[in-house]
Amino acid sequence: MGVTVLQQFHVPENKTGTYVIELLTKRILALGATQQGQFLVDCESYLSHPQMGTTKTVHILHNSEQPASVFSILESGTKNIHVIADGLFDLLMMKLSQHYTSKKQTKIESKGPRFELGDFCVKLGSVTMNQNFKGVLIEVEYRPCVMANAVWGLLREFLQGLLGPSVPVQPPQHLLSRMNEIYTPIDTIYQYLEHFSAYRKGLRSA
Amino acid sequence: MSAVNAAPITATDSLSQALKANIIPNQEYLLQGSVLDSAVEVLLHRLRGLCDNVDAGPETFDDQEVCFSLRDPNQQAAPLMLRVRKALDARDMPYQLRYIGQPDLGDKNRPTVVRSSLDIACSGMLIEFLNELGCRIEFEYSVKGYMFRKGRMKITVAKVFKIPQSSMPPEPISQSYLVELSVLAPQGQDAIGEDMRAFADQLRPLVQLDKIDYKRLGHMAVT
Repeated sequence: MGVTVLQQFHVPENKTGTYVIELLTKRILALGATQQGQFLVDCESYLSHPQMGTTKTVHILHNSEQPASVFSILESGTKNIHVIADGLFDLLMMKLSQHYTSKKQTKIESKGPRFELGDFCVKLGSVTMNQNFKGVLIEVEYRPCVMANAVWGLLREFLQGLLGPSVPVQPPQHLLSRMNEIYTPIDTIYQYLEHFSAYRKGLRSA
Repeated sequence: MSAVNAAPITATDSLSQALKANIIPNQEYLLQGSVLDSAVEVLLHRLRGLCDNVDAGPETFDDQEVCFSLRDPNQQAAPLMLRVRKALDARDMPYQLRYIGQPDLGDKNRPTVVRSSLDIACSGMLIEFLNELGCRIEFEYSVKGYMFRKGRMKITVAKVFKIPQSSMPPEPISQSYLVELSVLAPQGQDAIGEDMRAFADQLRPLVQLDKIDYKRLGHMAVT
């Protein structure tokens, strides 16, 4: 796996998410990409019982790119602690149902087609929360490199070529402090969580 | 849409499918016993003769286990116990997070203790994660010994040590080895209990493997 950048794509007024996905699909196919299946990233969040003191949130995420793993991020105050576990972690969360309850209505996912183009892997995701369309997230991965700093320029150029020059492309917040570290799958998960949280808070309109 | 481009199945769906098909090994069948240090060599010799992995010799292990408890917020149920195991002799291996339910001893016709169990391999900052989750450390110990296999059965012969405060060598908790015979299996595979009982009988009189009732042990310690 390589470095991944997750970028939100603004859906123009009077247009639907499907229209945007189709438009970007045409563009990426024109570049010579081939579709390689579909992808899915989902996130469910659990809140601690009020009697346990300060509210803590456990986010449980799955990524079809790593189908045997469960990613769990515990948000407590300003600190985020993550654990990567095998699939049975989901069963453990059921055992913790007295302590942590799921906020079902905020279950959110991004899914759509997955393309490969040489060393790049591109995923066009439509984000839905409770079946409601929320927006479009584009994931671009450059697979031969694991250091964000070394590949950021290339990824920015690729994204701008795909999305158009008017789209501002900044390094994701999560990556800023980790530009010189080795990139791992949890870094992609943190980026999804950042975007999902923004959609949940209603900070973004589709 | 071609099958190659079919939408991936969600993690929740694949988990409920696995639950429905009853393929998740979430029950532990267990027999326990102990043997004095002076007699352990004889038992190891017997196990070497009976078990599958004889060519390479018995597998050794050296683990540290920390037991956490998570109190019920409504104070109604018993605290939830979670155990974290780390291999001290293979430090790059993942942590093992383990949930163990209440042991069910059943009547005297049931050959083994049965308890629900979830074994989860974890990487990352597990100890810190559990602390922040609200768990409290109850106790910790290290356990060092040998592991044998016989079909689906796992046999461990191991010594339990206190965790040393300084750089002192770890101090053993007793003058004996703990012997455990266990199988992890999906629900309802009770026939394995009979196999375990038959295997335990072959180890007599070197070690007597039995259903151990912790509640009674706790009671004995108080009185």
